[in-house]
Amino acid sequence: MALYEGIALIQEKQAVVLDLGTDYTKFGFTGEAAPRCIVRSEFWCAATRRYRRVHDYQTADELYDNLVHMLHLLYFRHVLVNPKERKVVVVESLLTPTLFRETLAKVLFTHYEVSGVVWADSPRLCALTLGTPVALIVSIGAKEAEVAAVVHSCVVLHAMESQPLGAHAIHAELRRLLDEDNDATLDLPDLVIEDIKVKTCFVGSRSRAQQWEAARAARDVQFACGERGRLRVSGATRERAAEVLFARDNELASLPDIVLQCIMRCPIDARRALAENVLVTGGTASLPGLRARLAQELRHLVTRPPYASRLHVREFKFHGAPAQDSAAAWLGGALLGAGEAGAARATPRDVYARARRLRDWRERLMADFSTVPEWDHMAAVLTCYVAYNNR
Amino acid sequence: MAYLTQPDYVKYICSCGQLKPITSLYFCRHCLKIRCGFCICHEVDSHYCANCLENMPSSEARLKKNRCSSCFDCPSCFHTLSTRATMAQPRQTPQDPAGGDTKVESKQPKKMYYLSCFNCRWTSRDVGIPDQPVASGGWPERTNPFAARVNQLLDYYKAIALQEKQEKIERERKKFTIRGKYITLTDKTGLTGAMARNIAGLPSSDSSCSAIANFVPSQASAEVEELPEDYYTKEVNLNQITSMPQRLASPEWQPVSVSRLHPLAKLLSVKRSQRCRVCDHNLTKPEYNPGSIKFKIELLAYYHVPEVKIISHEPVKAGEKTALLLKLTNPTGHEMQIKLLQPEDLPPPEEKEEPKSIEKSLEKSLNLEKDTSSYKAIEREPQYSVTSRVTSPPTALTLAQRDDAAEYDDDAQHDTTE
Ligand SMILES: [Zn+2]
Ligand SMILES: [Zn+2]
Ligand SMILES: [Zn+2]
Ligand SMILES: [Zn+2]
Repeated sequence: MALYEGIALIQEKQAVVLDLGTDYTKFGFTGEAAPRCIVRSEFWCAATRRYRRVHDYQTADELYDNLVHMLHLLYFRHVLVNPKERKVVVVESLLTPTLFRETLAKVLFTHYEVSGVVWADSPRLCALTLGTPVALIVSIGAKEAEVAAVVHSCVVLHAMESQPLGAHAIHAELRRLLDEDNDATLDLPDLVIEDIKVKTCFVGSRSRAQQWEAARAARDVQFACGERGRLRVSGATRERAAEVLFARDNELASLPDIVLQCIMRCPIDARRALAENVLVTGGTASLPGLRARLAQELRHLVTRPPYASRLHVREFKFHGAPAQDSAAAWLGGALLGAGEAGAARATPRDVYARARRLRDWRERLMADFSTVPEWDHMAAVLTCYVAYNNR
Repeated sequence: MAYLTQPDYVKYICSCGQLKPITSLYFCRHCLKIRCGFCICHEVDSHYCANCLENMPSSEARLKKNRCSSCFDCPSCFHTLSTRATMAQPRQTPQDPAGGDTKVESKQPKKMYYLSCFNCRWTSRDVGIPDQPVASGGWPERTNPFAARVNQLLDYYKAIALQEKQEKIERERKKFTIRGKYITLTDKTGLTGAMARNIAGLPSSDSSCSAIANFVPSQASAEVEELPEDYYTKEVNLNQITSMPQRLASPEWQPVSVSRLHPLAKLLSVKRSQRCRVCDHNLTKPEYNPGSIKFKIELLAYYHVPEVKIISHEPVKAGEKTALLLKLTNPTGHEMQIKLLQPEDLPPPEEKEEPKSIEKSLEKSLNLEKDTSSYKAIEREPQYSVTSRVTSPPTALTLAQRDDAAEYDDDAQHDTTE
């Protein structure tokens, strides 16, 4: 580490890695093992006298202002470096809306005058932290659970799956269950809900979930909540809040379902390797018991229709990234930015200044993959994603 | 007019179109324009610890990861920890189990120190950190549990990048035209071409780099840690589980249990200097001494722009005229002419440069000339809603210069009032 820092000093300023999540922002330096800070993606707005979330915006101008404020906070309160003439590695989801990317680019290049930006998608970055050629990245974030297959550092785009099964879904369910427990409409603030979740909730095993009534219920918890007094968090609530991720209906849109569907859409010779290289990551993945439950569900569902006949994969193996759950993608960014190859891929400011817009990842992929024969098929799938993005 | 605790009633339009109270505006003496925090360039001037007011050179700050070596924050409530001294009586201090066993060979009472929070009563003894013989520093540092693996990965990817670079040069020289599809694909995506080649058993580099040869990819396992059976029936002790802020305060460890909390070395603060983006002159520059709140350069709007205060106003009624009493103050040493304009008379924000033709911008970048058009902060039409109209006096007002003597004279009405 020390050696690397020495080199960075001579060559150029150490780049920063930015992962602007919906709820939490991870920010730090390339070449380091952990972000310098993980803070809520919000800032104090003096005009309205309340915290404003970066991702709450109606117009591009509003988003521009939000990003300016958030980055100011990150640069001058947390990592304490000049943004000017320094490269940035932006960790982004493949489903990031174009407006968000374009605005972020504008803020970084014109407002903060950074010297270059590397745009990197989180599935590939997560795969970098493992060093394996094939990986199935299950990333459970604040809003969505995204499943992406990374095969030889390419994302199999048409196999990507995403469902709104993230922390927010759990929060909504927890809210509902708490209201039931306490026979009142509590309307608790998000932070309290989150606090109750991290302190009390867990994911029970599959066998418990199957015979829910028979299993001995978990202990109730009396949660002290300021002037509201004590809230009852029943054992059932603690266990059931995260059940929304596993609830199956006819649409087959539960978390294990989308994992299996992703594998199923991948090339046949990659499927077994993918199933044996699963990485479950994202902040929500640190919920106690979630990984074990997902493993149980996968092993069970794969023997059932519609998967049993079409997916001849019976074994699932799981990786652990060398980072805390919420920072795995960030760490990938830190690894990518540290190498010369990563830095070389940065969009330099003068290029941006001329074009004034970014190449979309769809365009980029089109350029990178144009030699791949399945391209026609992928283009068709891509259009769906465009529709999804604009939804 | 600006208040500490009330909304800002009088706002000024900055040259960039933002509406701000006068207290958060600057005045560039070189461009003769009002600037605000949004349209100027902030720079880190110096690092210091806000607790011990110790300056730290930025190279040292970088090495210490922007943390003070002698001040700590409470990991539980984030209040500053205090160092407390005790006399360690060897053998006779049962309440000191952590520090008592190792360094009590000498039977003399020794002064020992521990960290304690006056706000929430957390102490470094709670989590088993041994007391220290010196008052400042020397607290055990923790290393990131993943540091070794991350360094391996770093070395590996750096070696690959180097190898690819060499190969590329080689290829270029040989005019290697026939390339496999496989290689093209990975090559285009950059980073892991060589890695993929290694795994595919293709001839890897001639420079057998040890970092690549010794690298072991992460091993997946079928075992997933399940919750212990008693997890369901165990009583939950909320006091033993950390909250999200407590976890995220140390991103490397994110402790789940309160017993794993460690003192947080205090994050340094920075003094910022501010610069006009258009002319690159400093607008503010703080004094180096962390204890001083003074500035070497301080071009605040408050010293240059007439201040407007609303003295009184009658309730506004539809279709009726009401009186509005404004007080304008001239802060400068010069006489000032003031004209009240209607919003529609306001000059529009400066015409932005049209996107130049490619040749022209190319020329510019070739000349390595600073392309200021891309640096400029976004200028916008000011956003405000008008529900009434102020009829302004048609004549220009003259504000006399600031009278320093007036500050010592309570009754004097030297300010021009309208
Ligand atoms: Zn401004
Ligand atoms: Zn200090
Ligand atoms: Zn405390
Ligand atoms: Zn200026």
